[in-house]
Amino acid sequence: MNKVKKPVLQVKNMKKHFPIKGGIIKRTKNHVRAVDGISFDVQEQETFSLVGESGCGKSTTGRSILRLTEPTDGEVYFNGEEVLGCTQKEFRKYRKDMQMIFQDPFSSLNPRMTVKSLLLEPLMTHKLYSKKEALNKVYEIAERVGLSKEQVSRHPHEFSGGQRQRISIARALIMNPKLIILDEAVSALDVSIQAQILNLLIDLQKEFKLTYVFISHDLNVVKHLSDRIGVMYLGQMMEMTTTESLFNNPLHPYTTSLLSAIPSYDRNKKKDRIVLKGDVPDPANPPSGCPFRLRCPQAHELCETHKPVYQEVEDNHWVACHLYNEGIPERKRIRL
Amino acid sequence: MSNLLEINNLSIDVKIEKSYYNIVNRLSLSIAKKQKYGIVGESGSGKSLTSVAIMNLLADSLSVSEGQILFEETQELTTLSNKEMMKIRGKDISIIFQEPMTALDPIFTIEYQISEVLKIHFNHSKKEMREMIISILKDVGIPRPESIMKSYPHELSGGMRQRVVIAMALICKPKLLIADEPTTALDVTIQAQILELMNELTEKYDTSILMITHDLGVINETCERVAVMYAGEVVEESSVDSLFSHPKHPYTQGLLKSIHTLGDRSEKLYSIPGNVPTPTQLKKHGCRFASRCPHVMDLCKEETPPYVEVSEDQVSKCWLHTERGEYNEQGQKASVASEEYEKTFSD
Repeated sequence: MNKVKKPVLQVKNMKKHFPIKGGIIKRTKNHVRAVDGISFDVQEQETFSLVGESGCGKSTTGRSILRLTEPTDGEVYFNGEEVLGCTQKEFRKYRKDMQMIFQDPFSSLNPRMTVKSLLLEPLMTHKLYSKKEALNKVYEIAERVGLSKEQVSRHPHEFSGGQRQRISIARALIMNPKLIILDEAVSALDVSIQAQILNLLIDLQKEFKLTYVFISHDLNVVKHLSDRIGVMYLGQMMEMTTTESLFNNPLHPYTTSLLSAIPSYDRNKKKDRIVLKGDVPDPANPPSGCPFRLRCPQAHELCETHKPVYQEVEDNHWVACHLYNEGIPERKRIRL
Repeated sequence: MSNLLEINNLSIDVKIEKSYYNIVNRLSLSIAKKQKYGIVGESGSGKSLTSVAIMNLLADSLSVSEGQILFEETQELTTLSNKEMMKIRGKDISIIFQEPMTALDPIFTIEYQISEVLKIHFNHSKKEMREMIISILKDVGIPRPESIMKSYPHELSGGMRQRVVIAMALICKPKLLIADEPTTALDVTIQAQILELMNELTEKYDTSILMITHDLGVINETCERVAVMYAGEVVEESSVDSLFSHPKHPYTQGLLKSIHTLGDRSEKLYSIPGNVPTPTQLKKHGCRFASRCPHVMDLCKEETPPYVEVSEDQVSKCWLHTERGEYNEQGQKASVASEEYEKTFSD
């Protein structure tokens, strides 16, 4: 790869704990540890994906980076500048560089606004262009994502799901962002439409030099789009590596079982499936030690008493699992 | 082999502002005893409506305009009264819906909801019912069934709820189980559990399955035969083996191609251009896939293609397989183009 590597986004030990309140005086009884100490870097023009089952905290991570929910702890660096410490007002100047696309194209667009006004709004908010320039920009972007000039004056309900997702993409793109966080952006779409939108996203990334943080539960889609992947479980990062080594050489038992659970399209290859027992534990009462140990086929005593260290066991391959503890030099271990 | 369920030329119309639009068009399929049959299609293709029509549960704005649904070769389900249908629902044919939360009533316990099915169809004592419920909950893999049956749906996770729904559907040992997107709302690891469970249980109870899904992967994992639906029509009907190794209809080919290129980053993801037409956009004549088809000919836009038996166990609704569809607009032999396509596909 000949891309110049420079981290656009750095997340360090981010936590988000939601309080559970109860009783007459609404005292905080416990916390849901939605995100519990997550760290990753995203390089320029890279697609970094977060995968995991529902409730693992991948969406909360995405929202916390944009401060749509305020993280409890940790640091986020955008182009080298710390952005969690500043006030929401100061944070505004970063917002035009960091955009988000949501899953549901039906609820993320205001039904009372036309596509034109939906696309104009961010430009007007940030007062970057005159009205005329802004309008030209709207038409230009709309055309780029595949919407015609007539369609721009319509309302969202007149569009199909795929078309609406195009509008969402146009809205995110119009600010010329550097980073787009896509939260399950293609999950609500049918296969044939999903393929169209994925192609569009890939083309746009090259054209506008975008960096994507792609949040999804669909491993096939993630495989197609990402350069690197982080696998989350119960608010923690279990494994992080390049797409290639994750799919060819998964190290964490959770990743292995997750990959084996994908329904296969290949008639001839019937896989040996590892079917996990039980459900994801309650994030308010996570198990001691390793969060995955209750469902792990390879769990042993150590997993119950000690939390595994998240460490780089191979080049660019990070895992949090006791299985890979031996033979790792002390200096390579990084404690979170 | 006698057929358990036979659908002949089923058409369903929807009434929108005093005019009728066709949304399921002359659908025919038959499910043999103990067979696992799949219907796959995108949203709006009419696959769920077909299942609802089998259960005779169509909403007021929808009506069966044509065709029949024969159950066990004698009973015509579309003409049965609600009272007669009640005797079949839950006992001979049962259905699992996508959302396990909305399928269960939040204000009753699991035990009460499962016993309801038994009360309608049988005259068991309370003790017998309790034993039956405990044994079926064990079968669907619920731990501590004695205490879980006393709980309410909100106390259970999504996967557990879906297990309860499956238990409810199977407690009367139905002959046909309709599963309408049973795993779509679940995570992959839970989906793998549920699919495995359904495969096991239907073997055990000798139940036929009608699996309705948008995911060809699920079809591959569970079914023997499959019908591919597009815009209210079956475009291809085949054994699952043939469908995956040599799809014949351009729509099926496109779907499989976009799935196979997914994950291969060196190649551009194959996508079928355009959108699924809405019921109001559909024309009376011509192929419904014509506007998105890569092999489209003038003929396709004017005349409705026939069903052609392309091989022993495969039927496809396309002009390409007939004499008339031999040449396309460029004078290229269309069937050759299709063969070429298949060649690239199989590589």
